[in-house]
Amino acid sequence: MNHLASSQSTSSNASAQQAPINHHPDANMLVEYASGSLSWGLSIAVSAHLQLCQHCQQQHAKLSALGGSYLSDTPKEAVNDDAFSRLLDSIDKVSNPAQHKAAAHKAAPQNEQAIMHTMANAKKAGIKAEHLPRVVKKLLPPQLRWQKISNALKSARLITGQGEHEVAFHKISKGGKVVEHDHRGLEVTLVLEGSFSDEEGIYCPGDFLIKEPGQIHRPTASQNQDCLCLSVCEAPVKVTGLLGAFINPFLSIKPA
Amino acid sequence: MSTTTPLTAVKPGEQRTDTWSELLGRVGKIQDQKAFKQLFDHFAPLIKGFCLNNTNQSFGNDAAEEIVQEVMLKVWQKAPSYDPSKAAASTWIYTVMRNARIDMMRRNKRHQTDNSPIEVDDLWDEDSTTGPVVQFQRLRDEEVVQASFKILPNEQRQALTEVYMKGKSHSEVANETGLPLGTVKSRVRMGLQKLQAHIAGTAHAKVQA
Repeated sequence: MNHLASSQSTSSNASAQQAPINHHPDANMLVEYASGSLSWGLSIAVSAHLQLCQHCQQQHAKLSALGGSYLSDTPKEAVNDDAFSRLLDSIDKVSNPAQHKAAAHKAAPQNEQAIMHTMANAKKAGIKAEHLPRVVKKLLPPQLRWQKISNALKSARLITGQGEHEVAFHKISKGGKVVEHDHRGLEVTLVLEGSFSDEEGIYCPGDFLIKEPGQIHRPTASQNQDCLCLSVCEAPVKVTGLLGAFINPFLSIKPA
Repeated sequence: MSTTTPLTAVKPGEQRTDTWSELLGRVGKIQDQKAFKQLFDHFAPLIKGFCLNNTNQSFGNDAAEEIVQEVMLKVWQKAPSYDPSKAAASTWIYTVMRNARIDMMRRNKRHQTDNSPIEVDDLWDEDSTTGPVVQFQRLRDEEVVQASFKILPNEQRQALTEVYMKGKSHSEVANETGLPLGTVKSRVRMGLQKLQAHIAGTAHAKVQA
């Protein structure tokens, strides 16, 4: 992987019990994320990976520094004369102490409640939510609706406020094999719990896989644990003709 | 980390990046309004210039002024969480600006965002970094990065500039320039690799010194 610099940090402090993360977003995807042009759907996957991966956090920090240097080198454009006084007015409005206190008071318990609620729901849905990246925790709906895709595979869609990508949990039951399948668009998979393998390797929590259209693979979950993944797929191009109606909306499964 | 040759280019009459970081730190700690005014005078015209240069979104003058207001308000509000040991002020303000731009674009397509459980700051979360060793490393790298991207060959620097400055995705750059997507991607990657080599070289030189 073409990363900006060699990682010198040998997982000194955090999560030493976890297997090392071997698969990362490529440099191009990280650049698009850092500069803000990566789509919302893919940014969810990258963000979740970053929250698990110190190495990519450092890469991202460097890419942001590059952005900072672009900002510093930009030709200046004078702002309106009243810009600063307008800003001070806004600051006065938002930092009104009474309002501030009320807002904080309102926000804090709600947050805690929401988190407790999320955890409880996740547990019901069979997910150990404590280990999930923060952004994924936030995406957990009150009720996860699992849809069976095959004997070994089920999925649950997540609402993310965009229509370009399908964002979903996929769960492969322990030892389960997913039918060999192709990808109609770019598909990103982030392993969250358990592990799976395919022809090219074994993937553990934090690993980030990119599959391009035409890359066929056949994932198999490890024997000891169900494997939970976050997946982000380019929403299927509207298929014209009769065939479109029969194609599974989540995966185009090739009959094996 | 004291070196005789300054890593960041300091033009005559201009203040060093460290000054801005120190000022931003003061805004965060003691809500220093004077420091904030100095930051505003420096960064507001840069933010506006950055937005007007951004050819990917058609920012008029008014929209650029609004972004300036929004970004600098966020800077004031978020300054207490700014840690000078983690990032230079310019980098930190860049990330605040990036998030504000993404937010503004999303608000323009409101029908999609209404039911989103996550917001821009959940996805681009600068507070999620860990470990003091990493933080120290980070600041040093950051200075080197800022100095070294200027040594890149033209086409690589251009590719990176399209992506950062103009806010374009790789495929947008490919469409507009007529270059194959693979070429755009490899120019960006090679540019980053060159930076890596330069950073590694500088780090090595420092250890030797």
